[in-house]
Amino acid sequence: MSATALTLDPATLEARVYAAIHALTEDPFITVDATTPLIGDGRIVDSMKLVELCLALEDIATEAGFDFDWTSEAAMSRSRGMFRTAGALAASFVEQSKAA
Amino acid sequence: MILITGASRGLGRAIAERLSAAGRGVLGLARQPQDLPFESMACDVASADAVKAVAQALKRRGEPVEALINAAGIASMNLALTTPAAVAQRIIETNLLGTIYCCQQFAPLIIRRKTGTIVNFSTIAVALGLKGESVYAASKAGVEGFSRAFAREMADFGVTVNCIAPGPIATDLIKGVPSASIDRIVAQQIIPRQQTADAVCDLVDLLLDARSASLSGQVLHVGGA
Repeated sequence: MSATALTLDPATLEARVYAAIHALTEDPFITVDATTPLIGDGRIVDSMKLVELCLALEDIATEAGFDFDWTSEAAMSRSRGMFRTAGALAASFVEQSKAA
Repeated sequence: MILITGASRGLGRAIAERLSAAGRGVLGLARQPQDLPFESMACDVASADAVKAVAQALKRRGEPVEALINAAGIASMNLALTTPAAVAQRIIETNLLGTIYCCQQFAPLIIRRKTGTIVNFSTIAVALGLKGESVYAASKAGVEGFSRAFAREMADFGVTVNCIAPGPIATDLIKGVPSASIDRIVAQQIIPRQQTADAVCDLVDLLLDARSASLSGQVLHVGGA
């Protein structure tokens, strides 16, 4: 972890992920929770917004001193991947921060 | 910064030198990037992991990436029937998968600027269906198909994606091809004169220019086909 990185606890990181998703929906009334789908039926962001979300999460990860990897096979898997739901993404993001 | 693959020789080297001489920030990628007159890093584009490692290093540097020129490529002029499977695999891995890997890993660095240019390389062998270049042509036909679809995916981010498809240019790539074969190919171009690396560099300059922002998903044939 970089010497200048902020120390962000898992709960804060998780909250930042939900906030980043919410910001991209451009709908102040939408609720984003752990079960909110990011891909497939009922998704609340299109594929372009999903890329923008990943770039936003890269920035948060840099701030917190780790690299956010969103291009691995595990990330892209439709059934098991981190983009299934907002909760899966938040969990993977926190996991990657711990592994750094 | 402009990323150029295949920067140690051939068209990649010529493009990197041209841009570097014009004062553009260039980072050349090559398998063996020794003694290059511009900044360089080692990278075998056929390795997804190697490309990803370079992308992560660039991300940490934080320097904006304005363009990607995918010039890395290999060829083996042989009939398909006499091309060993390992050679066919290496051609596809370097030319097609290498282009895809670089686009996948480096495009996220470019789209942050909401503008940018990606140039991929095809060949006249696709348009002319040249005998003795079937595997090479297949790899480059894949690059053309990928580029056209990827251009649509990148359009929302203000990034253009085009292919340059040269005829035979005097580089190491065609060193072993008999001159009579070169002449036959050149004769089939719309401009029946062998083109130069300079002509390819000119086209790269054109695509990097902001005035080319309306051009995407196209295959530009140097010499015409």
